[in-house]
Amino acid sequence: MSVTQKEIKTLARLSRLEFSDGEIEKFAPEFEEIIDFANTINAQVEGDTGSIREVVARTVKWEDLREDVVKESLPNEKITSNVQAENGYFPVRRVVK
Amino acid sequence: MKYRLVSGLETHVELATATKIFCGCTTAFGGEPNTHCCPVCTGQPGALPVLNKKVVEYAIRAGLATHCTINTTTHLDRKNYCYPDLPKAYQISQFDKPLCEHGYVELESGKRIGITRIHIEEDAGKLVHESGYTFVDYNRGGVPLIEIVSEPDISSPEEAKEYVEKLQLIIRYIGVSDCKMQEGSMRCDVNISVMPEGAAQFGTRTEIKNMNSISYIEKAMAYEYSRQIEVIEGGGKIVQATLRYDERTGETSVMRTKEDAQDYRYFPEPDILTVVIPEEKVEEIRASLPELPTDKLHRYIDELHINPATAKLLYKYKRVCDFAEEAISLGAGVKNTVNLIVGTLYSKLVTEEDKEKFALPVSAEEMAKLVKLADGSKINITLAQKTLSAMAEEGKPVSHYIKEEDLQGVDEGQLESICRQAVEANPAAVADFKAGKEKAIFALYGFVKKATQGKADIKKADEIIKRLIK
Amino acid sequence: MRSVISQLSKKLSGGELTSVELTERYIAAIEKRNPQLNAYVHYTFDEARKNAEQADKLIKAGKATPLTGIPFTLKDNIATDGLPTTCCSIILQGFKPYYDATVWAKLKAQGAVLLGKTNMDEFAMGSTCEKSCYGAALNPVDNSRVTGGSSGGGAAAVCANLAAYALGSDTGGSIRQPASFCGVVGFKPTYGAVSRYGLIAYGSSLDQIGPMTHSVTDAAIVYDAIRGEDRADGTSCPTPQGKTQLKGDIKGLKIGVAQEFFEGISPEIKGAIDNMLAEYERAGAQIVEVSIPALKLALPVYYIIACAEASSNLGRYDGIRYGFRAENYTSVDDMITKTRTQGFGKEVKKRIMLGTYVLSSGYFDAYYKKACLIRKTVESQLAQAFEKCGVLFAPTAPVTAFPVGYSGGNAVETYLSDVCTVPVNIAGLPAISIPCGTDKKGMPIGMQIIGKKFDDALVLDTAYFAERENISRAAQVKGGVEL
Repeated sequence: MSVTQKEIKTLARLSRLEFSDGEIEKFAPEFEEIIDFANTINAQVEGDTGSIREVVARTVKWEDLREDVVKESLPNEKITSNVQAENGYFPVRRVVK
Repeated sequence: MKYRLVSGLETHVELATATKIFCGCTTAFGGEPNTHCCPVCTGQPGALPVLNKKVVEYAIRAGLATHCTINTTTHLDRKNYCYPDLPKAYQISQFDKPLCEHGYVELESGKRIGITRIHIEEDAGKLVHESGYTFVDYNRGGVPLIEIVSEPDISSPEEAKEYVEKLQLIIRYIGVSDCKMQEGSMRCDVNISVMPEGAAQFGTRTEIKNMNSISYIEKAMAYEYSRQIEVIEGGGKIVQATLRYDERTGETSVMRTKEDAQDYRYFPEPDILTVVIPEEKVEEIRASLPELPTDKLHRYIDELHINPATAKLLYKYKRVCDFAEEAISLGAGVKNTVNLIVGTLYSKLVTEEDKEKFALPVSAEEMAKLVKLADGSKINITLAQKTLSAMAEEGKPVSHYIKEEDLQGVDEGQLESICRQAVEANPAAVADFKAGKEKAIFALYGFVKKATQGKADIKKADEIIKRLIK
Repeated sequence: MRSVISQLSKKLSGGELTSVELTERYIAAIEKRNPQLNAYVHYTFDEARKNAEQADKLIKAGKATPLTGIPFTLKDNIATDGLPTTCCSIILQGFKPYYDATVWAKLKAQGAVLLGKTNMDEFAMGSTCEKSCYGAALNPVDNSRVTGGSSGGGAAAVCANLAAYALGSDTGGSIRQPASFCGVVGFKPTYGAVSRYGLIAYGSSLDQIGPMTHSVTDAAIVYDAIRGEDRADGTSCPTPQGKTQLKGDIKGLKIGVAQEFFEGISPEIKGAIDNMLAEYERAGAQIVEVSIPALKLALPVYYIIACAEASSNLGRYDGIRYGFRAENYTSVDDMITKTRTQGFGKEVKKRIMLGTYVLSSGYFDAYYKKACLIRKTVESQLAQAFEKCGVLFAPTAPVTAFPVGYSGGNAVETYLSDVCTVPVNIAGLPAISIPCGTDKKGMPIGMQIIGKKFDDALVLDTAYFAERENISRAAQVKGGVEL
C-alpha cells in the first residue's frame, strides 16, 4: 500500500500538523509500514462481514440520562486560569500590525 | 428556457432547555464572557459529556410534531473540524442514526415539504473580533440545537418563506424553542439548484449559510436562482460551493468551494453510550403534544364555524387560542368571543411578538361572563367592546363595569316593547322610511338608545323595528 | 508479596507513625532516588503535606479508611486541580486543571496523600515510557532497562518504594505491561468500573484507570476505593457493593489457556507461566484449552480504533485555552498548526495521522468500520471462551524489559509488545498482571489473569491465590522507603 506525499500533506492539513518535505520523505515509509500493518485486518477477513457476529453494545437507559437541572458554572477566573485572559475572553490571536 | 428552482433547507433551532446539552451550565442568553462555563463545555482535557434528557425529549417532540418516525435506538457522533469557537475540535452531533426521520410540514396549499431528518447537536462558542484582535466566549458553547433537514421539495422563495414560518409556528407551539431568528435561536442554511423544466436530473447545488431572517432567505434565494440561470445561459457551469449572503448588496459570494471542503471524519462518540428510548416514553410525549396549528385552523373553520379570515388571525397564537377556547368552554359563544378578541384586543397587540406573548390581567372566566352578556343581548357589542378594552387595561372583573341594574330592560322582550313605543311615537319617520328614506330609521334608533341608556343592541332593535313596520 | 498498604495503615491507626512522618520519609526517598529513576515528573509535596495533616486528623477522629494517610502517586494524565497535569507533552506545558478527576476526588476525600505525578509516554502512546518530554523513566530493577509503558513512572515509583501505590491508565496494556516489566502488580478493571472523568483521553473506548501496587491485596484495596458509577462519566457503571473479598479460593476454578496468546512468546516466559499453571492445577484448578482465532487481529484493530479516537481527542490542543502556544504566526490557522507541530512529539503525530487516515472519507469503511466489526468478533470469541472457563491465563508481554533505546527502529515491532494486552481492552475486560518469576537476567516476568466483564473480583481472587501461596513475589529494590 503506498501513500502518496500528497495524501500525507492532506492528512497533515486535516490534523493541523506541518511537515517539511524532508520530514515527509522520512515519514512516508514509516507511515506506509503502519498502514500495511493496519491493512492486515483487510487481508484476513476479506469482505466477510456477514460472519461478523454482533455483540450487544452497552446502552444508556432513559432514566440514567441527565436531568435538566442547572448546576452553578465556574467563575471566569477559573475558566480562563490557563491563559492570559482579556476582559474575561480567551485571546485567540493578536495581530501585529 | 424555463428553469425550476429546487431547494432544501437545513434549519438550526436552539432548544429552550435550562441547561446545556452535555453539562449543567445554564443556557441563559447573554452574561459576561465565559461565565456560563465549566470543564465540559470548554473542552478541558479529561472532561466528559453527559447527555441532557430534556434535549432528547424536546427533539422527539419536534419530530412528532412534524410527523417524523422516532429512532428509539440512537447514538451520537463526532464531527471533527478545527475552529477556535469549537473547544474540543469536534462537535458532538448525529450522523447515521438521527433521532427523527421521514417527516413533513404541510403548506397552506396542501403541498408537503418532506423532513429528511432531525438530529441533536451542540452549538459552538462565539468569536469576537475587535480592532484586529480575536477573542472567544464559550457561553453559547454546548447550548443544545436541533438541526431540521428538509427534502429538496421547495420550489420557490415563497414556499421557503412559508415553510420556515410553519416550522417556526410548530416549534413555538410545542414549546421547545422561541425560534427567534434575530437572536440566532433559529437559523437556516439554504441549498439551491436550478434545472431546466422537464429535466430529470438536479443541477449542481450551492449552499447559502447562516441566514437569520425570513425576508433575507427569500431575497437570497431569488438572487441565487437568477444568478444560476444566468451562469447556465451564459454557457457556464455552477460550481458546488458554500456561499454567504450580503444583506447590504443583496448578493451572494463564495465562502469556500468543494475543493477545500471539510472532511468531517464522523465516527460514533465513544463517551456517550447508545441511547435507548422506551416506546412508552415516545407515546407519552406524543400524548402531551398540544393540538398542532394546522389541525387547530381546520377545527376552527370546520367545527367551530369561525370564518376563515378570523380563524387565520387567531390560530398562530397559541396563548390567544388557549384563552378563547377556555372562555368558549365556559359557555361563551364562539362568534362573539373571537370577534371581541380580534376586534378589540388585537388593536393593542400590534406586533407578532405581542400576540405571541398575549396575557390578559383578567381570567377567561371573566371573558366568558362578558361574552355571555353579549350573547344574551343583555349588552350590545359596542358596550362589550368598551368593557373588554377597559378590562384588558385595568384588570377588573366584568361586575366592576356592568352593574346588575344596568342589565335591566335590554332583554329581548323589553327591547321589543321599547321598539314598539318608538314606532308609535314617531309616525312621520316611519312614513318617511316606508317611502324609501332609509335614513329616517335613525330617529327610531335614537329613541331606543335614549330609552335604554345606550345599552340596547341596535342591530337587534333594527330587526325588531323593521319587522314592526312591515 | 506483602500488603504494603495494610502494614502502613496498621501503623498509622496504631499511632506508631503519623501520616506527616510517613509522608516526609517518602519525600526524602523521592528526592534521593528520583533524579536517577525519573519516575516522578512533578512533585506535589506541598499538597502531600497538606493531605497528610488532614489524614492525621481523620485518623484521630476515627474516620480512617485503609487508604487514609497513605502516600501515593497519579499518572501525569489524571487531572488534579491546581497541580500540573501535562501528559508528559510539551503541548500541555504549564497546564494546571481547575478541577479534579473523580478518582483523585474520591481518594482525597479519604485522606490519601498525593506525592506527585508520574512519568509516561506522551499522551500514553507508547510501551516503554521513553516517549516522554521529560525523558525516560528507568527500571528500578535494572537501570539500563526501560520500565515499560505507558504508565512506566508509576510502576517504577511502586517498584522502588517511592510510593505505596500508583494509579495508572491502561488503553492497550499501559498498566499491566510496565507492572510486569518492573515486577509489581497492575490491575486494569472492567471498562466502566472506574470513572474516566478527569483522565485525559487517548482512546476513549479503551482507556481505563487502575492501580499499580506491591500486592494483589493492595490492588483490591485501591480498586475498592476508586470504583463505582460516576454521574460525570456516562460510560461508567455500578460495581458490586462492599469490599472485594480475597480468599484465594481456586478449587474447581476452570482456567482457560489459549494458544494464540503464546505465539511468539519467549520460552522463558512461557515456562514461567507453565509453572504457575501447574501450581494452580495442583491446588485444584482445572486447565482447559480454549481457542480465540481472531486474537491476532486484535493488535491492528487496537491501533486503528485507538488512533482514530486519539486523532479526535487530541484535536483540542490548539493553544487557545491551555498549555503551550507557538509564537510568530501569521493567522489563527497558522497559530494552531504551529502550536501542534511544535507541541506534539513524533509518536503522537504519527498516531494522529494514522487516526485521521482511517477516519477520512474513502478509507473509513476499509479501516475504522472494519476494525469495529472485527472488534466485535474478538469480543464474542472471548465471550465464547469464557463459557468454558472462569479466567484466562496469559503472558502480560512477549518479552521482559528491554534496554533503554532499544526500540528506536521498527515501529510495528514496538507495537507488537502490546500483543497480549490489547485484546483485553478491545473487549473491555478486567485483567491483572502479577509477578511470575524472573528471566535469566533477573528481569521480572508478568502473568495476566483475564476475566469476563464485571468479574473483577474473581480476577483479583484468582491472583490472590498466588500471593497467599507466595508463588508470586514483587521485585525487591533497595533505596526507597524501608517498610
